[in-house]
Amino acid sequence: MSDSVINHIASRAPSPGGRVSFFRLGGTRTMELTELHTRAGRLALWLRDLGIERGDRIGVIAANGLEWVLLDLAAIRLGAVTVGFDPAKFDTDTGLRERYRLGVLFTDGPARAPGSRALAEIEVAAALSDDGRVLEPVVYSPDDVLSLKLTSGSTGEPKTLTASVGSIDDDLRAVQEMFAHGDGDNLLVFLPLSVLQQRYWTYSALRWGHDVTICTYEAAFPALRAIRPTVVMGVPGFFETARKHIEARMRGAGADTDEATARRDGARRLFGDRIRYLWTGSAPASTGTLAFFEDAGLPIFEGYGLNETCIVTKNHPGAHRRGSVGRVLPGKRVILDAEGVIHVHADHPVCAGYEQAPPGVSERVFAPDGTVRTNDIGHLDEDGFLFVHGRADDVIVLDNGRKVVVRPLEERMKASPAIEECVVFCPTQTRLVAVVSPAEDASGPDLERAVAEQLALTNAAFGPDEQIRAVVVASPRFSVGNGLLTSQLKPRRGRVLDAYRSRIHDTEGGIHAVRD
Amino acid sequence: MQSEIETVARTNLARVLESDVAPQDIDPDQDMVGTYGLTSLNKVLFLMAACDDAGVDLACFTEPDVAAMSTLRDVTEALSRHAGKAA
Repeated sequence: MSDSVINHIASRAPSPGGRVSFFRLGGTRTMELTELHTRAGRLALWLRDLGIERGDRIGVIAANGLEWVLLDLAAIRLGAVTVGFDPAKFDTDTGLRERYRLGVLFTDGPARAPGSRALAEIEVAAALSDDGRVLEPVVYSPDDVLSLKLTSGSTGEPKTLTASVGSIDDDLRAVQEMFAHGDGDNLLVFLPLSVLQQRYWTYSALRWGHDVTICTYEAAFPALRAIRPTVVMGVPGFFETARKHIEARMRGAGADTDEATARRDGARRLFGDRIRYLWTGSAPASTGTLAFFEDAGLPIFEGYGLNETCIVTKNHPGAHRRGSVGRVLPGKRVILDAEGVIHVHADHPVCAGYEQAPPGVSERVFAPDGTVRTNDIGHLDEDGFLFVHGRADDVIVLDNGRKVVVRPLEERMKASPAIEECVVFCPTQTRLVAVVSPAEDASGPDLERAVAEQLALTNAAFGPDEQIRAVVVASPRFSVGNGLLTSQLKPRRGRVLDAYRSRIHDTEGGIHAVRD
Repeated sequence: MQSEIETVARTNLARVLESDVAPQDIDPDQDMVGTYGLTSLNKVLFLMAACDDAGVDLACFTEPDVAAMSTLRDVTEALSRHAGKAA
């Protein structure tokens, strides 16, 4: 494993030049990567003095910041396993240490639970003077575990899975081959560091010598302006918010500038003048948002992957096809079964199965050879680009035996500015009914007209089996508060069905484009 | 009569809200999250735009400052305190 990125950063100091910055409103703290490496080494010695050894688990429940990064790098230097908890979802009093077998748990909140420690200790320990002790470099093999991942299930306890060094190395090398991050680059990271992939970009900086800036989600937009990154590691919801903001500013700017120029200027004003590309993943991005940024001169690249697979496909400057999630990465293989369900085989799998999950779940997802059944439906085009159509659960089988994948219908309905969310059901195996959540808390003839127009456009674009017969307009709109959206802002299909069951089955009600 | 800064704040808040609320209809003492559905990302975008239009340096505010701004009046008062001090 001579080309292992993890072994490289575990065993040697980075080349001088690269920097890590921690942006906050009111001030930015910047540190040379060489200094970060030195401090992580001192912290590793301090952790060892606490009794942490190779294979032990270090829990972190904290907002993004220097201490988080130091702890993670110190864990790598020790061979310990980092377990990140999103502070928005966990607190220290919920038995985390026992449940996840943590040697120690650091928190930026009150360290009340037994075995938890204040994050404030980290920076002090990392700044201790050199006492001459030297840390023996840890050497990882591909199957060694670097981190424990927690999946964000919508209900109940999260499932857990270990992440192998080999799978992380494969991801990092593939990303570097596609995007060539290097001198002059500054990658902005604002999603929680509790997500392993968000920590990749610090590993990448240490290995390839570019800058990286870390902040919280809330500080991301001011950070864009202040640091002028070249790459933004985002998710569709973030880019959608940015798009709406730019469009609102364009509307307020008057008619002096043509639309294309106003969009380009607005995007540049918000994202800065150095953007090389925008990265989006973790959920499907709307075609409208992708097109908006491309037209604004900011290339945006969508990819595909799960916690269980790491990055499987990615569009990039050298191979990009709009509407696809890119080509399959080296070391990965996409297999489509007879139902079109995507299975992923990896030379270095993330893991062999869940560590913690309800009985039978791991066996349904992981094959004995480590191949992962994603439960997503898709196809590969003739050039190897993967297109994801939706979840296997979202496929409706009509009484004529034909299958309808509902996500393209839902996406088409959502193309209307009046419609924020759409969920399609098939209450009788013959008749598709959509429940839409309007973009604003509004009702009345204007909204009904807008929905009916979009329904007509959608039906015109699809075949006879895919015609939506009626639309139910949700009131109130779907929200996390009323339980119809997940915390990731995705509709809860089952709950929407429960909430609107009678209206979905009512053949007379709702908005109709085609009469039954 | 509204101050210029209040007008700036109202206009920019209305612009980021998902609900169709006119600037003059925003109650300055209502909670912007609870009443108007302001998200954390949009709150920062609103404040950035309001700072630009009011000539206030966003760096005047820390994250706890922003978190403490729960009503339009809070924002207007904060902007007023720093107006004219932009770098």
